[in-house]
Amino acid sequence: MIEWSVLLAWIVKATVIYLGLVNVGALMTLAERKFSAWMQYRIGPNRVGPFGLLQPLADGVKFIFKEELMPAGANKMLFRFAPVIAALPSMMTIAVIPFTTKDVVLGGWNIGTFSIVNLDIGVLYILALGGLSVYGLIIGGWASNSKYSLLGGLRASAQMISYELTLILTILAVVVMAGSLDLQQIALSQNKVTDWNIWYQPLAFLMFVVATFAETNRHPFDFAECEPELVAGFHTEYSSMKFALFFIGEYSAMTVMACLTTTLFLGGPSVPFLEDPHWALQIAAFLAKAGFFLFLFIWVRWTLPRFRFDQLMALGWKVFLPLALLNLLATGVVKSLV
Amino acid sequence: MVIVKRKELSLAEKLYLPEVVRGLSVTFRKMFEKPITRQYPEEPLEKTEVTRGQPRLVVKEDDSIACVSCGLCEAACPAYAITIDGGETDRAIEREPKRFDIDMLRCILCGFCEEACPKDAIFMSDELELADYSREALIYNIEKLKRPQAALQQRIDYVKKINTRWQTPSST
Repeated sequence: MIEWSVLLAWIVKATVIYLGLVNVGALMTLAERKFSAWMQYRIGPNRVGPFGLLQPLADGVKFIFKEELMPAGANKMLFRFAPVIAALPSMMTIAVIPFTTKDVVLGGWNIGTFSIVNLDIGVLYILALGGLSVYGLIIGGWASNSKYSLLGGLRASAQMISYELTLILTILAVVVMAGSLDLQQIALSQNKVTDWNIWYQPLAFLMFVVATFAETNRHPFDFAECEPELVAGFHTEYSSMKFALFFIGEYSAMTVMACLTTTLFLGGPSVPFLEDPHWALQIAAFLAKAGFFLFLFIWVRWTLPRFRFDQLMALGWKVFLPLALLNLLATGVVKSLV
Repeated sequence: MVIVKRKELSLAEKLYLPEVVRGLSVTFRKMFEKPITRQYPEEPLEKTEVTRGQPRLVVKEDDSIACVSCGLCEAACPAYAITIDGGETDRAIEREPKRFDIDMLRCILCGFCEEACPKDAIFMSDELELADYSREALIYNIEKLKRPQAALQQRIDYVKKINTRWQTPSST
């Protein structure tokens, strides 16, 4: 029997984290436009609310009132279902991200560490669910009955499979370092700045970051929606809230990936030069680090041109896969010797 | 056959990452530079004597317009935007337009009418904004086209200055 206070703590944490994720996704759409504007000597959205801060709200209202289009010959059920499959997994993976390693105490009420659940196999959980989101893209591309959508879906699947390998192998190196699949343990093992995995695994860190770009279909690897070739790729035929769901999925995936990078390589909630920080400070540190990676997503998008698809595949299979394997081997050897 | 000589890449360029970092540093620096955006309705365009806006008819001091409905502007108009019906008056210059319509939706602001006019009756104003709720409302008649001379003086002076080029007698 679960105690009521524990259940309540779960509900509170789930509500806060989930709402935070959705709002970060919404703010990211604004941030993307703002940062891109600044990088191009423009001002960006500034009409809705102060500094355009209410722009995501206006966009949301617009999305809801847009007409729903269903292409002729589309598979109706899958067409409606695909955005949900694309958006759901990334929203679920946020559950195991440890925002603190210390127990959060609210006025004497201990609600445990600030993560929705604390799985022993958190890494596996994220990889298993994160891999599912590509089904949304493939199904959406296929169900649209359009050549561009189908090609976008195909590319997405090929790209995801290629870079999932790199992603897993680099995460494995971190797992070897920490000796645990529990994200909480991985975060705890990097409590001091000098213990952060980025110092011991710079190659893995680099490959992991590049792989997250490919996994989330972001520039310079956004072949699934590559505008000049495929109109809009897998979501060409989507409109209204269905299209918005793909967007929410993409931005939540980015947020989760930023959180994951923080946890795996930057010590998660660890605060530099503080041995025993307060839990609020830990959350702040975590959000700051994750925020940097979210900014990096935008920053890179507005800096680099898109790769060619064969370059992407060559990079994934001929460079990253052998490098990641070697890195894992070296990590294992060194770890067993020390 | 065209042989394109490609630049040999150095090792750092082949590794791609240093160049990525260089690119990132460029975009980061650009973020703090002053935007060049003009916030248009709040910051209107600068209007000078060479601004070629919509054509307008000049109203002289005696409240009449100089147009004698010769039809030269109508003929010069490449967009067929001008329609003129001529009529008679009791004045010394006995012709005046009964109807002088410019379809602002057709007008391309080329200024040929201004150039063609032998009586200095039509000039390009600095008015550039054009919006209404119906197509009919954007076909401007004489009353809508009339502008006091003072409003167009800058442009009139400019056109006269330009035209002196053709008026100076040539020795050859």
